[in-house]
Amino acid sequence: MKHSFLFSCVLSGTALLLSGLLSGLLLSGCSRAPVNEPVDEPLELAAAMGGDTLGYARADGVIPFDFPSDYGAHPDFKTEWWYFTGNLFSDDERRFGYELTLFRSAMAPPDSLDAVEEGWTTRQLYMGHFSLADPATGTFHAFERFSRGAAGLAGAESPPFRIWLNDWDMASVDPSRADELFPLRLQSEENGVAIDLTLNAIKPIVLQGEKGWDPKGAGAGNASYYYSFTRLETEGTVTVPDGSFDVTGQSWKDHEWSTSALGPDEIGWDWFALQLDDGREIMYYQLRREDGTISPYTGGSLVAADGSKRHLSPDDVELRVLDRWTSNVSGAEYPVRWELSLPGEDLSLTVAAVMPNQELNVSVRYWEGAVDISGQSGDDPLSGVGYVELTGYDRVANDN
Amino acid sequence: MALSIVGVALGVAVVVGIDLANTSARTAFTLSTETVAGRATHSLEASSGTLPDSVYRIIKVDEGFRDAAPVIEGSVRIGEVDGPVVQVLGVDPLAEDPFRSFTGGPDGGIDLGRFMGRSPGVLVAAATAERLNLPEEGRFSAWHEGQHVDLEVEALLPVDSDLDAASLENLIVVDIATAQRVLTMQGQLSRVDLILPEGTEAAFRANHMRGLPDNVTLEQSAGRSDTLAQMTEAFSLNLTAMSLLALVVGMFLIYNTMTFSVVQRRPLLGRLRAVGVTRREMYWMIISEALLVGLAGSILGVVGGLALGNVLVGLVTQTINDLYFVVRIRDLDVSAWSIGKGLAIGIGSTILSTLPPAREATRTAPSMVLKRSATETSTLHALPRLVVSGVVLAVAGVGILWLSGKSIAWSYGGILAIILAFACWIPPIVLLGARTLRPVLGRVFGIIGRMGASGIEQSLSRSAVAVAALTIAVASTTGVGVMVDSFRTTVNTWLTYALEADIYISPPGDVFRRNDATITAEAEHFIRSRPDVEAAYSVRTARVLIDNQETDLIVTEPRPRELEPGRYKATMTGDFRRAMQESDVVMVSEPYAFRYGTNVGDSLRIMTSHGPVAFRVGAIYYDYASDLGVVQMTRDRYDIHFDDPRVSGLAVYATDGKDLDGLIQDLREGTASVQSLNIRSNRDLRQASLDVFDQTFTVTTVLRLLAILVAFVGVLTALMALQLERSRELAVLRANGMTPGQVGRMITLQTSSMGLLAGLLSVPLGLVLAWLLIYVINQRSFGWTLQFEVDGVILLQAILLAVVAAALAAMYPSLSMSRTKASEALREE
Repeated sequence: MKHSFLFSCVLSGTALLLSGLLSGLLLSGCSRAPVNEPVDEPLELAAAMGGDTLGYARADGVIPFDFPSDYGAHPDFKTEWWYFTGNLFSDDERRFGYELTLFRSAMAPPDSLDAVEEGWTTRQLYMGHFSLADPATGTFHAFERFSRGAAGLAGAESPPFRIWLNDWDMASVDPSRADELFPLRLQSEENGVAIDLTLNAIKPIVLQGEKGWDPKGAGAGNASYYYSFTRLETEGTVTVPDGSFDVTGQSWKDHEWSTSALGPDEIGWDWFALQLDDGREIMYYQLRREDGTISPYTGGSLVAADGSKRHLSPDDVELRVLDRWTSNVSGAEYPVRWELSLPGEDLSLTVAAVMPNQELNVSVRYWEGAVDISGQSGDDPLSGVGYVELTGYDRVANDN
Repeated sequence: MALSIVGVALGVAVVVGIDLANTSARTAFTLSTETVAGRATHSLEASSGTLPDSVYRIIKVDEGFRDAAPVIEGSVRIGEVDGPVVQVLGVDPLAEDPFRSFTGGPDGGIDLGRFMGRSPGVLVAAATAERLNLPEEGRFSAWHEGQHVDLEVEALLPVDSDLDAASLENLIVVDIATAQRVLTMQGQLSRVDLILPEGTEAAFRANHMRGLPDNVTLEQSAGRSDTLAQMTEAFSLNLTAMSLLALVVGMFLIYNTMTFSVVQRRPLLGRLRAVGVTRREMYWMIISEALLVGLAGSILGVVGGLALGNVLVGLVTQTINDLYFVVRIRDLDVSAWSIGKGLAIGIGSTILSTLPPAREATRTAPSMVLKRSATETSTLHALPRLVVSGVVLAVAGVGILWLSGKSIAWSYGGILAIILAFACWIPPIVLLGARTLRPVLGRVFGIIGRMGASGIEQSLSRSAVAVAALTIAVASTTGVGVMVDSFRTTVNTWLTYALEADIYISPPGDVFRRNDATITAEAEHFIRSRPDVEAAYSVRTARVLIDNQETDLIVTEPRPRELEPGRYKATMTGDFRRAMQESDVVMVSEPYAFRYGTNVGDSLRIMTSHGPVAFRVGAIYYDYASDLGVVQMTRDRYDIHFDDPRVSGLAVYATDGKDLDGLIQDLREGTASVQSLNIRSNRDLRQASLDVFDQTFTVTTVLRLLAILVAFVGVLTALMALQLERSRELAVLRANGMTPGQVGRMITLQTSSMGLLAGLLSVPLGLVLAWLLIYVINQRSFGWTLQFEVDGVILLQAILLAVVAAALAAMYPSLSMSRTKASEALREE
């Protein structure tokens, strides 16, 4: 779910700014690009990705998903993304966390172009984020890319499943078995940092919200279609400047599409994707409001070892920040250690960032980081790994 | 003294003016190519001028090479079909950041969605939008190859500096998709820009280019503006040479006036010598005086040159735009170098031309200096020496021309030597002429006539120089005039046989000789299928790499009537036309053969759509359409080797007896809804071509007029000085009973005779110059064979010019003489 907000923020231009675009250009209520940052992207992407929702398809109710074609793009919705994160370990105990996300954003509603959508003419803009956390060296690598979704430069297809932005690529390994999403290969490289991973689902698909329809706020259509693969067995290679490492580990996939916006008083969110050793997963997010309270549209799910899902409401979850870290780039103060409890499940967990600096200083500044989990389920000790996403914190820093 | 300054000023003004116009033109296209190249170090280009856009995908997606950006370049006309031309730069804003800053900048809030898809939005500099009257809101019309497109100003390009402003002067930036649509380049790119770190070129070639089509090459971006500059090299060199010719005339003026200023003060100098001023001191006095004159004249000349440059730059731009490529020269690019050069040339030549009179005044004994006749005697003694020097110079000149090969600069050097040789021969000729004229004038005008003719002889040192200056000035205008005239006649003759079809159809292009516009298939089909159209053949002009040089390839279908054998400079044995149909044989134009030293039978490596192919040269044909040289191929062979079905033009033969105007009207109406085409009769096209020709030579004509002006002023001042110097002598004549009218008539007769002499002398020299310009300079610059055509009118004009200038020069001295009392004029001090 979380990325829906990340992106809808960008879209509505109410909470976040694609910062590097134009130094100093400020959208209403959005955070300001730091003056000392080089201007990475010269265009005003926020405007391209923003605008109203008029003319787009809306997620206005439960629909039956049609796989494998729903693994691909839904171009009539304003936003969509394919999100992969994971924790990887090499034989010699070196560990990494990775994120590879490709976003699709429609710059104009369907059938609104003067020209036919062919060749280079398109409504679709693609954005890619690739990050790699390397706690052994304390380094966090983060990269961003943009491309039009045309001329073969970026796109989303299924079947066979292939989402790509230039040479960043997520694709089914065997295109001849068109119906099969897995095994799936992720490839991305930039500036000597690379991943080349093969993913296999070891648990079934999870349709988030109500059969994959996940309301995001008040009003019809303010919702997304959202499904996850919460546990993907992963192996492959990670390359960092000091070498290449054969790794194994676990990944998480989200795919979400929507045409929706954040409420005006919502400033950001904390999102957790936790994979526990006992075979269970927790997805939980809380929407933070300007006055410090939590939005009622906060929620999540608990997936049992057999793949069955239980909805989590704010009342089911207790979340407390134990530790914070301040970015010396943005000045934003992010929580980096939490206590997360599900009293109804007799579950009490400590979630801690594997390294504090996992801030992505890209167009949309946010924190997306690998975490370790320790705690107890009843009397039994429990551990695990996961990923956490934190948005809207630099806004507070800059407003102060 | 004022006359000397005017003389220097005029010479310097012409040199500076031309130099400024030339450098401004060069700066403008360097700027415009640098602007569009941005920070690219290399680019991928295809010999055919465009490459499939899949090349970019391969580089970016398959090869994963990041610093690459697609580029489309072209031009459109704004407002009307024949409106002003602007460059179009198509870019992908998402790939642009490392390359160019058009799509960004502090306030460049561009709506990416609109720019990339929703509307045909353009980015344009505020000044350009204003100049072209582009509306701030809403659509405006643009035309490409006669097809209408709507565009809309999306945002103004940020202008950070004057450099920016100049480089953005004639540019609109659009999204790559818009560019493909507007320029009808679907699926095509002009090039892919790359940033390759130093030393990685070979690695890029080896690692990333294997998947690309064969005709894609890796080029260095820095070379692009050089290529453009090379195209106009001959053109600007010729301009420079013409300006130097004006300077030569100017130097004669300076020499003349400086001599005059020395001679005028002969008594004073003599007295100074007598009271003990040393030769060295005197020498330096005269030289420093010349320095002052040179400085004053040069400064005036630079000011005049700036003004002149402003006029010339427009003409130069016009010519470059007509002939080579679209470029807009915004302002005169005034460099310290140009001005410094002008000052140095002005002062240098002043001092140089003062050396002889200075030496003369200081070397002679004081008593001799006081005597005017001394100079004349020495001049008479010098005559044989002058004749010999002339012969030496002439031999040297011919030698230089013989040995200089293709070097245009050396060729001009040779021509200069020949001019100087002629100048050396002028004093004896003037002497002979004056002696011949004396009895003639005596018979017609009596004593006054005889006295006028004697005067020329008596003041030979001065009159000969004046005649020489006048001769050279008039001859250079004659030479250029005859050259242009010959050129025009040749082109006209060529057009007559080259344009043998009835009607010519082409899309409106932006550059006369580099029109790469094409006719839509729909329009072509309509034209060919009209009942009154008996036959038609198509022509395609494509830019291809031939022996690694970008060259125009002219592709023609077989013509119903082929050219007569006399229209070829050389052909291979056998039926070369059939060979061109059936095998890989091409023919090349005369300028092409000249430029690359190509002979019949040679092999050319032409980069086709499927890689390089060797073609044999079957013929060299006369062609005056392109000074850069073209290669001709048959359509059959082109279709085999190139994936390009388009046609650039159609030549139509009407059914016999049909009304041409009616057919033209019919074709215009029938194609109007599809494409706006230039549909012209044979006659109209020939006229249009000649109009372009005339426009091209506007600069030349202006320079010719300037040379005439310099000559005129020169003669005026020289002869006026001559007569003023003689005021005492004339006063004696008055005292002895001559009426002012008689004196005036004598002066007029005298100067007119000199003018006539100069005019007559300018005819042979002018013809020699014309011959040299046609057979040496033109040949060596462009390789054209021109017919030598002499129009009597131009020669008559030259003589008339000389006589009129001379007669006018007599007016002031005559008037002032008649107004002064003889007694006053006689009073020495």
